[in-house]
Amino acid sequence: MYTMIQAGSMGVPFTSTLGYAGTDILERRPDDFKIIENPFDSQERTVVAKAMNPDVAIFHGLKGDRLGNVLVQKHGEELLLAQASRRVIVTVEEIVNSVDFEDSDGWFIPSIHVSAVVHASLGAHPTGVPGLYDADEDRINEYVKASGTDESFDKYLNRYVFEVGSHQQYLELVGLRPELEAVAR
Amino acid sequence: MTTGFDLTIEEQLAILMSREVNDWETSACGALSFIPATAMLLGREMRAPNAEIIILGSRDYSPFVTGKDFHFHAQRGQLDLFFISAIEIDQHGNFNLHVIGDRDEPDVLMPGQYGTGMLYYAVPRIVMFRTEHTRRSFVDQVNYVSGAGTSPNGVSRRTREVKVITPMAKLNFNQESRIMELGSVHEGFSVDQVVENTGFNLGIRGEIDKTPQITEEEVHTLRTVVKSHMIDSETYPNEAANLIREP
Repeated sequence: MYTMIQAGSMGVPFTSTLGYAGTDILERRPDDFKIIENPFDSQERTVVAKAMNPDVAIFHGLKGDRLGNVLVQKHGEELLLAQASRRVIVTVEEIVNSVDFEDSDGWFIPSIHVSAVVHASLGAHPTGVPGLYDADEDRINEYVKASGTDESFDKYLNRYVFEVGSHQQYLELVGLRPELEAVAR
Repeated sequence: MTTGFDLTIEEQLAILMSREVNDWETSACGALSFIPATAMLLGREMRAPNAEIIILGSRDYSPFVTGKDFHFHAQRGQLDLFFISAIEIDQHGNFNLHVIGDRDEPDVLMPGQYGTGMLYYAVPRIVMFRTEHTRRSFVDQVNYVSGAGTSPNGVSRRTREVKVITPMAKLNFNQESRIMELGSVHEGFSVDQVVENTGFNLGIRGEIDKTPQITEEEVHTLRTVVKSHMIDSETYPNEAANLIREP
């Protein structure tokens, strides 16, 4: 999967990766992964992964500005995902006048890779943002439990997604904890 | 264990795994890997002062900016040893990190293999481990092949040594026959017990070695130097505090 996004970000039809041969990942996804002869060495074969270019990528960041520059958490692969995707929506904790390229709180993604920025403080909930707020374990457990059957998951989606009118309503529904309220603007 | 040290499973496995860490080599583990992280830090104290240690997600032991950097490092052949934790391991050296239960109707769908299917080809030495030695973990055929023990013809593979360490025994993957074999049995367990708790034929021929006993020095070093270093350096500090006993 990573390799597919990698190829997508490079704008090439596929890319080669070591390993994976003989796994069920290949067996289950013959349209995405193949083993081919190395065109430069007929003695060798390699796994190749088809490029993936998602129509839309949505991820959460720390800051966004009016030009569409964003700052995301460090150590993730959001830039690669943004480069691979046709449209990119970034929800952010905070809208600022100008995201600083040098801001050491996170990593800068320039607006050329971003289609839309949406202000959503606590937007990572029920997961967390390191340094700002932790994951909401009770709600994560509820999510995991709900994912057990289609029926319970539909119920979860209705309750927390489809029947909620706004992000603010969602936050009221899940009940802001004190440490979250401190962050919410 | 009957060694009288009253070891937790985590301590026992970390000590046995620490013996796989070689001096001047680069050893690594992924995120959510308290046991191998402990093993590497203990290995460095006991026998490998110049070991390069990589603990993904840690503050002090991860020189990489993203996961990609780590994976490419491995693909370039710059790792010597990698630790893999698996749900199921089979006779043919396959491991499963994807599902618990049936592959089409799983009881639990796991996050997946996060590159281990690649690392299992790219890294020369692999040490797999499991915190239980049971027939549900050591199976005839894994429910999902997340990492493949056998490579198709022509596909390059650097991996040349695979071991499995459990609370009862050490298994070695025979690189010629591509079959998992019983290597040694830990103190306090018998060959029969291992056979009884393994869901495949262990290829036993003749006398089986006993795993060298866990020493007082290993236990003491783990519970003093390594434990306090993990807490101080914030390398799995909570796990170190709770799962490594006081000296």
